[in-house]
Formats: sequence, structure tokens, C-alpha cells
Amino acid sequence: MRRRQLMALVRKDLRLELRTRETIVAMVLFAIVMLVILQFGFGTRDDDLTRFVGGLMWVTLAFTAVLGVGRSYVAEREQHVLDGLLASPVPRTVMLGAKAIAIFLYMTAVEVVVIPLVGVFFVKGSYWDAIGWIAIAALLANACIALSGTLFSGLALFTRARDLILPVLFLPALVPVVVAGAGATHAVVGGSPDMSEWRGYCLFLLAYAILFALVSIATYDAVFDD
Amino acid sequence: MVTARGLVHAYGERRAVDGVDLALAPGERVALAGANGAGKSTLLRLVATLLRAQSGTLEVLGEEIADGARAARAGIGYLAHDPLVYLDLTARQNLELYGDLYGIDDRDARIDDLLDHVGLLGRSEDTVRTFSRGMAQRLALARMLLHRPRLLLLDEPHASLDARGAALLDGELEAARADGRAAIIVTHEVERVARVADRLVVMRAGRVVCDESTDGRDPMAVRRRYEEVA
Repeated sequence: MRRRQLMALVRKDLRLELRTRETIVAMVLFAIVMLVILQFGFGTRDDDLTRFVGGLMWVTLAFTAVLGVGRSYVAEREQHVLDGLLASPVPRTVMLGAKAIAIFLYMTAVEVVVIPLVGVFFVKGSYWDAIGWIAIAALLANACIALSGTLFSGLALFTRARDLILPVLFLPALVPVVVAGAGATHAVVGGSPDMSEWRGYCLFLLAYAILFALVSIATYDAVFDD
Repeated sequence: MVTARGLVHAYGERRAVDGVDLALAPGERVALAGANGAGKSTLLRLVATLLRAQSGTLEVLGEEIADGARAARAGIGYLAHDPLVYLDLTARQNLELYGDLYGIDDRDARIDDLLDHVGLLGRSEDTVRTFSRGMAQRLALARMLLHRPRLLLLDEPHASLDARGAALLDGELEAARADGRAAIIVTHEVERVARVADRLVVMRAGRVVCDESTDGRDPMAVRRRYEEVA
């Protein structure tokens, strides 16, 4: 039953996104614009920005995540559907899981564009050999972003100043993700990959995702029922 | 089906529901009336488990809501001011979603039956955004009935239903008594609902000020009684 409910909610989010194309398109465009601005902001095209590439990528992805997470309950809020979901016998943790899966997929779609673009914009040396390792770290980071983002967007949903409150709550929670994501990227880009450093950052991301999963499961009922 | 004792819910300092006692037996249909701000919709949302009471006890369909809200939700059908459907999904996709959320075994056959029943089978693949208000509310009626609820909670249902939808709803409420389903109908149209209700409950300032039978009484007499106490 829970699996059926979870799949129904995920399918609903993907159907809405495929029909409206409001969230992923906005996220991808935002990320591209931000990368372009960062490239201009960091100076001439002749400079090799390889050593900054982890930070540039993950700051871009963090702000893009805020945009995507901020839109995660837009359909329920604007079309007044939330009561219908809350009045149904769906465990709140299933709602959490479904939203987290949707955000995970949105972030993955953004990274399919952003990770190669970062190589084109900022890296002169070896990058494409490392792209698989970066992608693995990105998937772990997406789990962190999806779980923490779902929790904070649920908290912000019932506040009046939700557009202000969400970034204020969510961005600080993303700092460890940015640090670990940038560290993992830095470890494998530039020609001499340090796989033990990469592994350490990935384990940290995994632990952070598990921590947020536990916190979310423990608190999500209270977020929606109290 | 519903037993509320000393139910209280406040928004800030203001008590919207202030010590309400209410009991509802199987097959009973209650017209819940009162002026704007009397606490009717808040009481309905408490029974629908969408709000949590700050004090008092509430039992719905045999479940103490403080512990078993999820089990009770499986047997509640809730019709609100808004249709509670996604505008960018089709009528069928919306019902499929709710069918899965409620774990309905014969989902697809049930959806076809209900879409036919509410006159939307021909528009089942159209997005709700293309529907008129009355059509969307008829879809909401199908959504409410989809999981065969034992308790119907209706918030001013006649206000947004078209004539066809209102007739369907009245038919459902007539059938409810025979099926043993109970209903609470929040309304301003007292004489209309009096035709299908067994009891009139009137709220004022968060309290129940009248709770009496309407059986066999002329709807206009029920209306006059409401105006006396409201």
C-alpha cells in the first residue's frame, strides 16, 4: 500500500512537471545563467579556474536547489490541493519520500547539463575522465538536497513569509553539502585524482543524507499534523 | 460514527470551536449551520482530521483521532470549497491518484463508473484547467465518493455545484441513510439541506446553540427555527 501511494505521488509530480515544464526548465536556465555570470565574475577566459571548479559548481547547484525546492509544493499551494492529500490515509513520511524523489530527479536533470558545462567554462586541464566520479558524488549530494529540502519546504509551507524563510533555513543546511561536493569534485579534477579524499567526502555526503532521512522521518508527521 | 466531547480549536486568541459536543450515528445526516465565523468549517476540518483539537476528545469511525487519524481518514469523504484536484492533470489522472492513495482495488472500473455517474466520462482525458467551476466540483464529488467513504463531510456543497451536480449530491445524501453512511453538511442554505438532513445543528461563536431533529418538518419551518437561534 505504501509503495503504491509513493509511486502515485511521484508519478503525479512527474506528470505535472512534464505537462507544465515549470520547475526543471527554470532550474536549468537559472544554473546556466549563474555559470555565465560566474565566468564573467572570475575574469578573463585565459585563466585556468580548475582549482576553483568544485566551489563554482556546487555554489551554482546549491542556489539552483533553493529555486527547485521552493517550487516543490507550488501546485498543491496554488491549486489548493493540499487538503485533499492530507485528508487521505497517506503516511506523511510517504509524502516526504515522494517529494524527495521528485526533487532528486529534478536535481539530476539539472546536473546532466551543469556538470559538463562547468568543464567547458572553467577547466583547461583534465576533466572529462573525472566526470563519472563527479556524477557519483552529485547523486549522493542530491539525496542530501532532496531530503533536507523536502523537510524545510514542508516547514515553510505553512508560513506567510515562505519565500523568505525557505532560503534562510535551507541554505545553511546546504553548507556541508557544498563543502563535501566541492571537496569531492576538487579531489578528482586536475589530472591527479585523490580517490581516498574523494571517498571520504562521499562517505560524509552519505552520512549527511542518512541523518536528514532520520530527522525527516521523526519530524514530518508533526510538520503536517500540528 | 462521530463523537466529539468538549472540542476546542483556537486561532491565536480566538476560539473558533469552543467546547463543542457532537454525536453522529450511522445513517444520520446533520445540517451544520450558522453565521459566517460561527466555527462550522473549523469543526468540519477537525472531524476531517485536517486540524488537531487543542483540547477535548474526538472519535471518528471508531478511531480516537489523537492516535488513529490515518485509519479514520480511509473512511472519510471530504468535499471542500475547492475541488482538491490538480488543474494540470486530467480528470482520470486525478482520480487515479486518489484511487492509489486510498488503495482502491477496482480502481479503473470504479473511476469509469463515477465519471459516468457525474457526467464527465466524455471529458475524462481533458485537464481540469479546461473545466467550468461546476464541472470541477462534479469531479470533486467523484473524488469524494471514489473510496466508498462511510462518513461524508461537505463544506457548503451546493454553493459551487451546478444544477446537475447538486441533484447528484442530493441523491447521494438520500442514499446515505439507507446505506448507513453518515454526513455532516455545512450550509447556509438551510431549507435546501433540511430536505435531506435528519438534524439541524446551529453554531454561534464556536458553540453549538441548537441541536434538534428535522425529521418530518417543513423545510421553511426549519429555516425559521435556524433564524431564531442563529
